[in-house]
Amino acid sequence: MFDVNELILKKAKELGFGDVVVLSHEMNRRQVRFANNEITVAKNWHERKVELFVEFEKRIAGTTITELSEENIERTLKTLLSNMKGMAPKEDYYGIAEGPFEYKDIPETFDKAIVELDEPNEYVERAINAALEEGAKRVAGVLYTDHDRIYLTTSNGVEAFDEGTGIEISVRAFIGDLESGHGTNSVRVLKKFDPESAGRKAGEIASLARNPEQGPEGRFNVIFDPLAFANLLSYMSFMTSAYAAEAGFSFLVNKLGQKVASEIVTIKDVGNMPNGYGTRKFDDEGVPTRETTIIENGTFKTFLLNTSLARKYGTETTANAGLIMPHAWNIVLEPGDYSRDELFSEVRCGIYITNVWYTRFQNYVTGDFSTIPRDGIFLVENGELRPIRNIRVSDNLQHILKSIAALTKESHHVHWWEVNTPVSTPYVLVKDVGITRATK
Amino acid sequence: MHELVEFAVENALELGADYAEARFEEKNGTSLTMKNGSPEGLEILADKGIGVRVLVNGGMGFASTNVLTKESVAETVKKAIKLAKAASRVRNEPIRFSEENFHRVSYKVKMRKDFRDVSPEEKLELLKKIEEEVKATGVNVPMRFIRYYDQMWHKIIFNSDGAFIESFIPRVSTTYNLVVFENGQMEQAPFVQRAFSGGLELIEKDEPWKWAVKDVQALKKLIYEGKRPPEGKVDLVISPEVAGIAVHESVGHPYESDRIFGREAAQAGESFVKPDMLGERIGSEVVTVIDDPTIPNSWGFYLYDDEGVKARPRYLIRNGIITEFLTNREYAHKLGQHSNAAARAINYNREPIVRMANTYLAPGDYSFEELIEDIKLGVYMVSFNEWNIDDRRYQQRYIGREAYLIENGEIKHPVRRPILEITTRALWSSVDAVGKEVEFYPGTCGKGEPGQGVPVWMGGAHARLRDIPLRRP
Repeated sequence: MFDVNELILKKAKELGFGDVVVLSHEMNRRQVRFANNEITVAKNWHERKVELFVEFEKRIAGTTITELSEENIERTLKTLLSNMKGMAPKEDYYGIAEGPFEYKDIPETFDKAIVELDEPNEYVERAINAALEEGAKRVAGVLYTDHDRIYLTTSNGVEAFDEGTGIEISVRAFIGDLESGHGTNSVRVLKKFDPESAGRKAGEIASLARNPEQGPEGRFNVIFDPLAFANLLSYMSFMTSAYAAEAGFSFLVNKLGQKVASEIVTIKDVGNMPNGYGTRKFDDEGVPTRETTIIENGTFKTFLLNTSLARKYGTETTANAGLIMPHAWNIVLEPGDYSRDELFSEVRCGIYITNVWYTRFQNYVTGDFSTIPRDGIFLVENGELRPIRNIRVSDNLQHILKSIAALTKESHHVHWWEVNTPVSTPYVLVKDVGITRATK
Repeated sequence: MHELVEFAVENALELGADYAEARFEEKNGTSLTMKNGSPEGLEILADKGIGVRVLVNGGMGFASTNVLTKESVAETVKKAIKLAKAASRVRNEPIRFSEENFHRVSYKVKMRKDFRDVSPEEKLELLKKIEEEVKATGVNVPMRFIRYYDQMWHKIIFNSDGAFIESFIPRVSTTYNLVVFENGQMEQAPFVQRAFSGGLELIEKDEPWKWAVKDVQALKKLIYEGKRPPEGKVDLVISPEVAGIAVHESVGHPYESDRIFGREAAQAGESFVKPDMLGERIGSEVVTVIDDPTIPNSWGFYLYDDEGVKARPRYLIRNGIITEFLTNREYAHKLGQHSNAAARAINYNREPIVRMANTYLAPGDYSFEELIEDIKLGVYMVSFNEWNIDDRRYQQRYIGREAYLIENGEIKHPVRRPILEITTRALWSSVDAVGKEVEFYPGTCGKGEPGQGVPVWMGGAHARLRDIPLRRP
C-alpha cells in the first residue's frame, strides 16, 4: 500500500500541510468464541484502512480513510484543510520525528504457519478438553488468529513496513455458579502456542475453588496471580503516558525522580520484545521501538512520550507515539528471585487472588481504586489453600506498588479482554492490601 | 448500498445458509478535544462497511469488510458460511431464532440544528465555553480535559426473514474530566458526559458548562467543608444519577439473556438470575425498572434493533417482581418467547448481541422533601466516581463524589466518599420510597469481545433506602 501512502503524502504537501503521517493497515483477524463447551460464533474480519495525521501551522487533525480512490483521498484532505483553517493552533505542538531510521527484524513476530492456518477449531477443542479433564463442567472463551501488515510513510523521510502474526486463547472454566478458573495463552508464532495450558489452568483453579465460603475483610498479605496483577499493570500503563498525566488521569503527576514503588519494582515498556503481543518495529512516527524503563528499583524515571511531548519537556521520545496520545506496547514487571512455592510459604495468613476484573478509579491522580477478584480466590494458611468468595480489593495503586514484598522468577505474558495492553508479570506478593465485602 | 446488502443475503442463501442478515453501517462525524485550554486536534470520523451474519446447520458465522465491492462482499459471505459450517460441528444443539413479524421501514431522528452544517470552530466554542465558565467560578482547576463528539449513524439492515430497516440517527455529546485542587487537596469529576440522539440544539439547550460549574463548585465545597460520612446503618437517598448506575449494573446486566445462558461467561460474566426466576421477588413493591429504547432524543435511542425487531419498553422489574429478560432472537427462541428487540451492534464489524438501551428506575409518588423529611441520620448521594460489580452482578459498590449528610430531615454539610457496598437483593429490597421526577444520564455500556461500547442512558427517580450499612474509605 506504499503507492497509496505516497499519493496521500504528495497531495497533502501540494495542499500546504506541514507534518504528515500516513499509516496504512491491512488486517486479517479471525475469532472463535465458545461457551458451554460449544462454539457460539466464528468470525472473520478483513480491513484495509489508512490512518492519517496532518499538521497545518500548528493545527493538527486526524482521520481514517477506508475508501482509497484518488477522488476520495483528495476530498478528505481538502475537508481536513478547510476545517483546520478556522481553528486555533495547538501551541504546544512540536512536530514529528526526523527520519529515516533503520529497523531491525524482531524475532518471533511473524509466522507464515499462522497466515496459512485453515481451521483453528482444533485448538479450541483441545483447550476445552484440557479444562474438562481437570474437572470443569462448562468451558467458555475465545480464540483469535491475527495477521497484520502496516505501512508507514511520513513527511519527515520515513518509509517503513512491518508484518506480524499472532494466535491467542482465553479460557474460563466453571464447575458450579461460584466455582471458576481462568487461563490465557498469547503468542506470535504457532509452535509456541499452548492452548492446553490455558484450559488446564482454568480447570485446575475451578476445581480448587469448590464450595467457597464468604471471604473476610480487613488488610491482608495478598499473592496476585500473573493474570490478576496484569490487570492492574494494564490499567497503570495508560497512566504512564504523558498525555494521561496532562489530562488528569495519572497518579504519576509531578512524581518524576521520586520513589513510587518498592525497591524491588522495575517496570519497563518493551516495544521490541520478541514474541510480545504488542510488539511492533516502529511507533506511529517511525521511531524504532525500544525498551524504556518507566520505574527503576522503585524510582519513577520517565513518562512514555512521542516526539512532540518529548520536545515540550526537553527530552527524547521514548518511541511510544500515538501522535496525540503516547501509549505502551508491552508492559514488563521484572521478575524477582522467589520460586512459586517459596512465595506461597512466605504467607502464613493471606489471600491468593487468581484474577480480577472491573478495576475502577475513585480518583486517578491519587490512585484510589477498587477491583473485583473473580474466579478462584483462596485463603492461604501455612501453605494450604481454602476457597473463599465475594471480596473486593479496595486500595490505592501507589500503596500497592510500594507494598510489593516479593516477586517470583516465573513470569507470564498476559493479554485478554481485561488486559488490553499486554503485560509480562511474575506472581506478586503485596503486603497489607485492603479487602472489603458487602455486609448486606 | 441497498443492492449490496440484498446481494449479500441472497448470495448467502444460495451458498446454503439457513438464515442470513447483512448490515451496512456508515458513520460520519467530528470530534474535538481541548486539554488545559489548548485545542488538541480535530478528528474527522468517516467509516463504513458491511457485516454479514449467517446460520448454517445451527452454527453461527460472522464476517465483515470495509471494501464495498460486489467481489469483496461475496468473499465475506463465503467466509461467514465457511465459519458457520465449521462452528456447527462443535455444537451440542443447533442455534435457532424466534419467529418475528418483520417490517420494511425507514426512519430518521430530526436535527433542528444540523451539526453537519456547523464548523469545527463553532463546535470548539462549546468547549471554550465550558473552560471559561469553569474558570469564572474562581475554583482552581489545574487539569481540564474536555471533548466534543458528533456522529451521523446510517444503517441498513436486511435479513432473509423479511426485515428491511433503514435508519439515520445523529448523536452528539460532550465529556469532561475536571481536577479541582484547593487547600492542598485534590478532588476529581472524571468522564462526566452529556449526550443525546439529535442535533446540536440539544447540547446547547442542556448547557454542559452549567453541569461543569456545578461539579467544580461542589468539589471545592467538599474540600473545605466535607466531613466524614456516618458509618453503620443509616438511611440513604440516591439521586437519579446513582439510581441509574445501580439499575444498569444490577438490573439491566443480569437480565441479559445471553449472560443468563452463559454465552458471555468468558468475558462479561454470567448472572445470578436464572431462567426460572421470572416471577420471583427481587425488590420491594415500589421498585419498577424499565429499559426503553424508544425514548425520543435519548442516547440509547432506536426504533428497530439490529435483528430488525420492533423496539418497545421492557419491564425488567415490576413492583419488585422479575418480569422480563432482555432478549435477542436466539435467546427468545430458547425461552419460548418473542424477542424484545435488545440485539445491538456498535458497528458493521460487530455481531448484534443482547444489550440495554435506556434503563431507569420508574417514578413513584414522593417529592424530594417527603423522601428526606423523616430521616434522622442519613446520606444523600448525588453523584459517584468509583463503581464496580462482580461478574454475576450481585456484589456491587458505588462511592459518592458529591454527597451530603441528612440530619433530622435536613440536608447538611458535604460528606467525603460515602461507600455503598451491597448485594443486589439487599439494595432493591431496601428501597421504601421513590421520587416523582425522572432524570437520565448518558454512559457507554461495555460488553462483548471485541468490545462493543454502546450508547445508553441510565437514570430514574430519587430513591430512599432504609437501614443501609454505609462505609467510609
